[in-house]
Amino acid sequence: MENNDTAKKEIVVGVAGQPNVGKSTLFNVLTGRRVHVANWPGVTVEKHEGIREYMGYRLRFIDLPGIYGFSATTIEEKIARRFILEEKPDVLLVLVDSINPERTMYLAIQALEMYTRVIIVFTKIDETHARGIHINYEALNRRLGVPVVAVSSATGQGINELLDKIVEVASSGGRRKPLRIDYGELEPFILSVEQVLEKNDSKIKYPIRWVSIRLLEGDRELEEYVRRMLGEKVLIDILKTREEIRRIFHRSPEELFAQKRFEYIEKLLRGVVVRVHVGITRRERITRYFYHPWLGPFLSIFTLIIVFLVAFSINTGFPLNVILADLGYPGLAEAVENYSLGGLIEAGFNALSNYLYSIMGESIISSLVINGIIGGVGAVAVFLPLIMMVAFFLAVLEDSGLSPRIAVSLHNWLTRIGVSGHAVFPMLLGFGCNVPAVMSTRAVPDPRERIRLIMTIPFIPCQARLVVILAFASALSGLSGALLILYGYVAAFIAFSLVNRSLYWIDKKRGRVSEPELLLELPPIHKPIPRVVWWHVWDSTKHFLKKAGTIIFLLSILIWFLTSYTPSLTYTGDPSQTIGAYLARLFAPFLYPIGLRGDQAWIIAFALIIGFVAKESVISALTITTGADTARDALRLLKLTDVQIASITVFMILYVPCMATLAVMLSETRSWKIVLASIGIMLSIAYVGMLFTYMIGLLL
Amino acid sequence: MQKPLLTLDTLPPGSNAKIVSISGSGGWVYRLYQMGLTPGTIVTVIVNYGAGPLVVRVRGVDISLGRGIARRIIVEPL
Repeated sequence: MENNDTAKKEIVVGVAGQPNVGKSTLFNVLTGRRVHVANWPGVTVEKHEGIREYMGYRLRFIDLPGIYGFSATTIEEKIARRFILEEKPDVLLVLVDSINPERTMYLAIQALEMYTRVIIVFTKIDETHARGIHINYEALNRRLGVPVVAVSSATGQGINELLDKIVEVASSGGRRKPLRIDYGELEPFILSVEQVLEKNDSKIKYPIRWVSIRLLEGDRELEEYVRRMLGEKVLIDILKTREEIRRIFHRSPEELFAQKRFEYIEKLLRGVVVRVHVGITRRERITRYFYHPWLGPFLSIFTLIIVFLVAFSINTGFPLNVILADLGYPGLAEAVENYSLGGLIEAGFNALSNYLYSIMGESIISSLVINGIIGGVGAVAVFLPLIMMVAFFLAVLEDSGLSPRIAVSLHNWLTRIGVSGHAVFPMLLGFGCNVPAVMSTRAVPDPRERIRLIMTIPFIPCQARLVVILAFASALSGLSGALLILYGYVAAFIAFSLVNRSLYWIDKKRGRVSEPELLLELPPIHKPIPRVVWWHVWDSTKHFLKKAGTIIFLLSILIWFLTSYTPSLTYTGDPSQTIGAYLARLFAPFLYPIGLRGDQAWIIAFALIIGFVAKESVISALTITTGADTARDALRLLKLTDVQIASITVFMILYVPCMATLAVMLSETRSWKIVLASIGIMLSIAYVGMLFTYMIGLLL
Repeated sequence: MQKPLLTLDTLPPGSNAKIVSISGSGGWVYRLYQMGLTPGTIVTVIVNYGAGPLVVRVRGVDISLGRGIARRIIVEPL
């Protein structure tokens, strides 16, 4: 009885909107961030679902992918459309950006043409007045016959009204029929298709007029549907009508329909949206510098460098400690390093280890807990603040609207390596984590460019690798450490550029490419909303903690096991007799060219093998096998020369990113060939880079 | 008298023009329509340095266009 009751009161709410209208922000406000993330069936596009209890109802919000239209030309559009037509949500929210309703209304109009239970939600209304935009929501409500609600995710204005409307529409059922736009001279053609379809009314479960219009615009998915339901002949008749439009008007039908829709929107908004000219704001004037041919790239790169330097300094003391030491303040430098966030966490884990030793004593268990788990997880957890900090800056760049401007400014330079400005955002994300970076290449419109990017993004050192770079750099003295970090990033940059350039060249030879092109919306610059920034930070922190808690935790135990037991499964204190050592010795010869021998060779080989799964564990592998507390001590114990450390660092940066990235590369390209080719390219480039570094190092 | 037709990439910053047609085909053109660059639409050129991407304002939104795409948009200067 009770169960039945709650089931009755559930309202399913789909949330749709164009990119940049503030959809995820509103979604988070509506759901209070109690969000469940899964994938849409059969694809790797994320599906966010959130629940909110309201007035005795259970509102289940489903975030649809950001799309420009419902044409089913992209995976995202297909998902959104299928959800609306097949699952028939009780309410569909379509978001319209108050700052540019003329453009973003396009999706709402298309939604109204195919669905009745719609609420139009105007977002960002807190920003309209400053921009001299006034919108008469009442009038729009009357003209469209569906509720129009104005909200602000930043101030919370309108949220309760929206929730009320959702309940109201769910019970009343919205418009009686889908919106009917007058397509003028195209009407006779729509009518003729409608007549064909109406004969088979019972077989078509979507709104007939909408299907007719979509078929005339050209819609693969619906063509397939008609063929299946009504047969080839009916479809051919319909396609003939489509060709007739092209012949009569000498223009493509999709262009004509898009134009009509925008004309309709213009008429609809006439007198509803009033713009008072307020001139260019100062903020906007500043961002114009980003478009300047040489000032723009300079500003962009300067911004990015500052971001990374600040993040590094706060977390690890680097490079501030080096600068202070060089200026003759070694005491101050040390203090900066010790009291950096990373330094404090490290001190905490050391204290914990010592305390556990004092109460547990020397045993297999204490070895597992202290050397294995705390040693492994702790060595990685030190970098948590860094991960939060970088996530913070990336979120600020994104939410402020600065990152598309950086994309525009770097477009010209990037075309030289065969990618467009669209590559900037995936590349930036790549510095955080390669996994979302590979996924974000979906926004790159050119499919070949996208493949090339997917194959090369793994060269961008993610934070996991940054963690290892910093750990290796800490084994070098002051300035050389700083140089190593710089060198590592330069090596990654060169590998990224070279491989991109070569892949572009190959594509060009095969006649598969056009010049890299840019087509990008530039949302207005605004102050980042702290809440939104925090969400981003928390998401990546959570991701990292989960990883530290699961993969790195398990790997730490595995590494401890592999380096504590002999092949005959007896416990030993001598790592060189262990299973790990035997396995790693098979690969050790690959490291002979850089002068590694014996323990050095197999321990490094072992760490690199482990790093194949997750890069952070390179450190855990080193500390656990050597029994050292930090990577710095581990490398010192191994007595590696500076040149050897540099060579290994280069290899570590460039070879295979991690299992997770490979898995995403596979799911995004659906091609083993591409993934295997990437692995091959990465391993060879990394090896060559390592040898090259070693030779250069010996010469210097 | 009708003004001569030009391509969008040749217009100086600050100028307005009406889109006449978009040449070429494929995903790009479709994306342009969806972003509101349909024939008959007025565009304002915000940024054009003669090299690199342009920034234009269409239906209240700033959009950055690569030069190759801009070259395919035929406009009538206003």
